[in-house]
Amino acid sequence: MTDFAAFEPLAIDFTGAGDGRVRALALLLLTMADDEFVIGFSDSEWTGIGPILEEDVAISSLAQDELGHAQALYGLLTDTVADGRDADAWAYDRPPEGYLHARLLDHHRGDWAATIARRYLYDTADSARLEAVASSSHRPLAELVAKIRREERYHLMHVQTWIERLADAGGESRARLLAALEAMGPDAGTVLAPLPGEPSLLRHGIIAEPFATMEARWRDGVGATFRRLGLPDLPPTSDPAHARSGHSDAFRALHAELTMVRRSEVGATW
Amino acid sequence: MTESTGGAPATPGVLEPWEVFRREKDGDPMRHGGSVMAPDATLALHYAREMFSRRQESVHLWVVRRGDIHDLADLDLLQPPLDRSFKKPGGYVMRDKLAAAREQSGQAKPKANKGTR
Amino acid sequence: MTDPLALDPVLPPRERSALPFNDAALDHDERYRHFAEHVTGGGKVEATDWMPDEYRTQVLRFVEMHANSELMGVLPEREWIMRAPTLRRKLALTAKVQDEVGHAQLLYRVAEDLGKPREAMIQDLLDGKTKFHNVFHYPTKSWADIGIIAWLVDAAAIVAQQALRDSSYAPYARTMKKICWEESVHIMHGRDVVVTMATGTPAQRAAIQEALDRWWGPLMQMHGPRSDRAKDRDIHWRIKAKTSEELRQEFLGIYVPRIRELGLTLPDAPLALDPATGVWAYDEPDWNELRTVVTNHGPMSQERLDFRRANWAATQWVRDAILGSPRAAVA
Repeated sequence: MTDFAAFEPLAIDFTGAGDGRVRALALLLLTMADDEFVIGFSDSEWTGIGPILEEDVAISSLAQDELGHAQALYGLLTDTVADGRDADAWAYDRPPEGYLHARLLDHHRGDWAATIARRYLYDTADSARLEAVASSSHRPLAELVAKIRREERYHLMHVQTWIERLADAGGESRARLLAALEAMGPDAGTVLAPLPGEPSLLRHGIIAEPFATMEARWRDGVGATFRRLGLPDLPPTSDPAHARSGHSDAFRALHAELTMVRRSEVGATW
Repeated sequence: MTESTGGAPATPGVLEPWEVFRREKDGDPMRHGGSVMAPDATLALHYAREMFSRRQESVHLWVVRRGDIHDLADLDLLQPPLDRSFKKPGGYVMRDKLAAAREQSGQAKPKANKGTR
Repeated sequence: MTDPLALDPVLPPRERSALPFNDAALDHDERYRHFAEHVTGGGKVEATDWMPDEYRTQVLRFVEMHANSELMGVLPEREWIMRAPTLRRKLALTAKVQDEVGHAQLLYRVAEDLGKPREAMIQDLLDGKTKFHNVFHYPTKSWADIGIIAWLVDAAAIVAQQALRDSSYAPYARTMKKICWEESVHIMHGRDVVVTMATGTPAQRAAIQEALDRWWGPLMQMHGPRSDRAKDRDIHWRIKAKTSEELRQEFLGIYVPRIRELGLTLPDAPLALDPATGVWAYDEPDWNELRTVVTNHGPMSQERLDFRRANWAATQWVRDAILGSPRAAVA
């Protein structure tokens, strides 16, 4: 397992994040927040250009939900690390290598099939993670996750109906879906790759089960759906030790854009 | 009575209008909100949620295929012409009779009863 | 523009209300006379009512342009969703643009129930055959533009939309009520951005002033040139109730004081209220610019239409997929 030093990018400064528990918790919160932030950001690009007007509105709602979850998770992180940074500072003021989102989310949103495939893979994996955090000993996290899970029910319903439609439609639709799954498959499990500090998370009851167990449960669920739809099984996660580092050029471009205005007047109120 | 046309039967895989009804808060009636285009009931419900509950402004939604709605607008049936005032409060005007009764009994008009048991 | 006589109501001839013009036993001229009397007297028209072609096409053109404007109107703002400088602003702007898409949905639905399929309307827009409002043909150059647009463009739009809540065409009137309710939130978001920047750093304040200077011309043109009330067909049929000039005066009356209270200036020397008449005097807007822009010769017209065309083509496979084989279904 990689140690913290190799894992932690430069801009994350956990000074004062004293014992193993706080550090492990902070890392968990940051990975969850960054996952929600990056997928929410990426999918918000569909606002105004969705394939059907009604669906445009729907995908925008999903993206906004993720951003809202990110905002709340960054809020918890603010309280946990308590170094003066607020949620916006966490969201915006790190260099690209300072973000800890899963490599699955480094993929560009692509066409509609790629977006649905990525959403499906992410929402189902996140669901397994949320289940393991639902009874967290860290009360604020447990309370937040209870609300997030209720909102995620709609996400799961929506992506489920879309992945079925795209698969069942055959022809170009199915071909695009297969191509997207093939490109993203090796990165799908990065959401549930074990984090440094996992022993601490388990010992303190912050998570109820190891990531490997979450991943197994997730793969069973996705496998059953894929078999039913005649889609190939997901491959194992490639390079799990670097599940959340080495971000793509697509992400760097996203980062440059998202920080553009904020960087133009550092310290200003917007 | 004119035949009410219920529209064409459902064709799977065609975008068609679904009428959306919504209840704003508990106790309110269902009210028509508008329509969404959808290929089936599942997406019609998701889209109704998007178009009519993004701001948490509904507690309950119905979606109905426009083609499944039956309607009646025939005024001969809805607004028949002969007197039906015996079915409404306005059909019972007693002011003069009550005035005569009070005069006969020497009683004043009772005060309005605001109390409730 | 589609041949008006080719428009067949998409709705089956359901039970029609028993208004005289719905009586199929009457001849066309009598029905027309009853209809005109009904509408000019303040009566409402529903999608299932009989309408003379003249009314149907007039309403359709009006609603279609409004729908097109919402669909094109998302483009100037959408690129700044990616660049919003805080989480809250990003959520607010995403929600605003989402609302505009929602408005497009509502308005295309109204127009579609008048007889023109959604796909045909979008195709006509992309082919440059139908128009969209002037303000959406201009570039957005900075985050300050986002504040100015959300506040003042939406404000100018809401002044027009509030007046449409009593339109003779009832489905449109009802849609306006929902749209006005949503737009009022946009205006607050926009004003918040503007006030924040106007009271922020010198660079932010300068950016707001610059954006305002650039947008004032298109804003003044937005409601259109003065028209003769007596000759205005939209007013005759009570599709709309107020003239361009009435809307512009209303906009100036509310918003000029609110702009000035922030210490911002307007690039219009004669702009002033005559207290005696209650009328705002202003520099005559450039009506040539308006004409040029709405005929798709504005600074961003072609680029935005190209973008929409490319996006529409790139997502066609999705529409085909969820509809099975739509061409086969239509045939």
